Amino acid sequence: MNAPRPLGFVATVVESARQTALRLRHHRIWTLVVIGAAALYGIAWLVGYQVGQRTEDDGVIAYCNLAWWLQATVVTPWLTLYLGVQALHGGLEDRTFQYLFLRPVSRTALLLGNWLAVSLVGASVGALGAVILFAGMADNRELWPDGADWRYAGAFAGACAIAATAYAAAAMAFSAWFRRPLVWAAFFVVGLQQVVANLPISAGLRSATITDPLRRFVLDAIEPTQRLARNLWPAEATFDPEQVGAPLLDLTWFVLVALAIASWVYARTEYDARARD
Amino acid sequence: MNAHSAMVSATALRFERVTKWYGSIVALLDVSFEVGCEVVGLVGKNGVGKSTLMKLAAGLLQPSQGTVHVGPHPAGTAAARADLGFCPDVERLYEQLSGVAFVAWMLRYHGFSRRDARARAAATLEQLGLGEHMNRSIREYSKGMRQRVRLAQALAHEPRFVLLDEPMTGLDPVARAELSQTIRSLPAQGVGVLVSSHVLHELEAVVDRVVLVHQGRLLAQGRVGELRAQLPSQPHRLRIVGPRLRELAAVLVAWPQVAQVRVHDDSLEVSVVGESGFYEALTRLGAAWDGGVHEVVPLDDDLASLFGYLVG
Repeated sequence: MNAPRPLGFVATVVESARQTALRLRHHRIWTLVVIGAAALYGIAWLVGYQVGQRTEDDGVIAYCNLAWWLQATVVTPWLTLYLGVQALHGGLEDRTFQYLFLRPVSRTALLLGNWLAVSLVGASVGALGAVILFAGMADNRELWPDGADWRYAGAFAGACAIAATAYAAAAMAFSAWFRRPLVWAAFFVVGLQQVVANLPISAGLRSATITDPLRRFVLDAIEPTQRLARNLWPAEATFDPEQVGAPLLDLTWFVLVALAIASWVYARTEYDARARD
Repeated sequence: MNAHSAMVSATALRFERVTKWYGSIVALLDVSFEVGCEVVGLVGKNGVGKSTLMKLAAGLLQPSQGTVHVGPHPAGTAAARADLGFCPDVERLYEQLSGVAFVAWMLRYHGFSRRDARARAAATLEQLGLGEHMNRSIREYSKGMRQRVRLAQALAHEPRFVLLDEPMTGLDPVARAELSQTIRSLPAQGVGVLVSSHVLHELEAVVDRVVLVHQGRLLAQGRVGELRAQLPSQPHRLRIVGPRLRELAAVLVAWPQVAQVRVHDDSLEVSVVGESGFYEALTRLGAAWDGGVHEVVPLDDDLASLFGYLVG
């Protein structure tokens, strides 16, 4: 036997991430990204044009509403959840996981590699989308009397990138645990997060979601007017910067707990036996 | 256990009193056997636990009771997985990858550098006859080519034990013959093989021993001939070809070992119970018979007959 020592933990994470990213590339993601980018630009331009024609709102209000309600709460979450479920649960469904589980490497490292790749792809696409939306909105020059302020694009690009890492971790947990992870993802995004968003600001459960700390992160970054704050956080009548708290810490905890659950389940579950139970 | 058998056990793939439950269903019950540096055939009907046994060895499942060892290592540990190659009965592969990229990827997890993994994957696929197609996408492969890729990922890291779950499935006769040859060559390279197949006559040509599993239990294990000899109550059937078949049948039916003689157009089918002295007497008769006895062929000394007698 002249086989070398099996790959170490970090090297396995990197190799798993590389292979996951390669496989995601094969899902024609770049074709979809180009089509999606054109669509986002078109939507942003059209919305900006309509806002300019029909309201007194400026480009900041128009962009922040669009970027939050479309890019940060719909496109980035669903794209990342879909890619995450494809990456991990796809292999469990078609049983190709057997080829991986036979190797002398840690299943946790394999899972973290999947998460890393999905996070990077989701973050890149999410951030790019936020910037493209801004570009589309900025082309309506009458909305920006003092010139387009690209700081807002940066704030939402950062928010989407952070959201992608958290949604990727949620996708790993749902994929490792459940047989129908996208159904549970829908329950989490549409059900739990919406319900929790209406709880009082003091409710600790809000930190167990992605939307709530992400919203606080955005509000902290864009320093909104009261009106814009109400648009982005309808459950709160008046926005107080003291309410921001530590959104990045909350999201970090969310990611750590989701990944801990995911790797615990992934490392211990007999996926072959599950089909027969 | 004496010193020799202890040494054999430490270098064998070993199932010891293995029981596996899926919920309330018993998949395996108290199964024990070993695979040394040999080819062992795993035989049984669908759903009797053959794949479960292989997955237990591969560490994909944990036994409910008992232990499985890959050489000195408990199954499922990283050391055991490093020593094992498994060709699972899974239709899907990573369709978008090329054959060589897939095998090289698997080799990376065994610790080979990217360059070494690629070179080794290419050499293995070349050896398995997939050399000129290795850079094509797997989705373009025929069933036989896909099976070779599966086999390549199981063999490329030079494991000490290989588990082959229905490796003949989907292969054409030429590919089956080539695969049989490959399997047969593995023990000479120090590799122990556990192989299951529904194609019993082809399995028989490849294996040193068989393990028969039925309803989750180990029914019998050993060489086919030895196992057949352990069924004295089951008549042996022979086909005899020669001249004057009716006269020959009349002679044979009077022998105490002969239970039944059927006369066909071109041969006799003789059922023999208790073989003591039968073959010597038949040899003498053949020598003395006018025109001679042309052919004596056992009809049920094969694995398929043995399997049929044991499991019905």
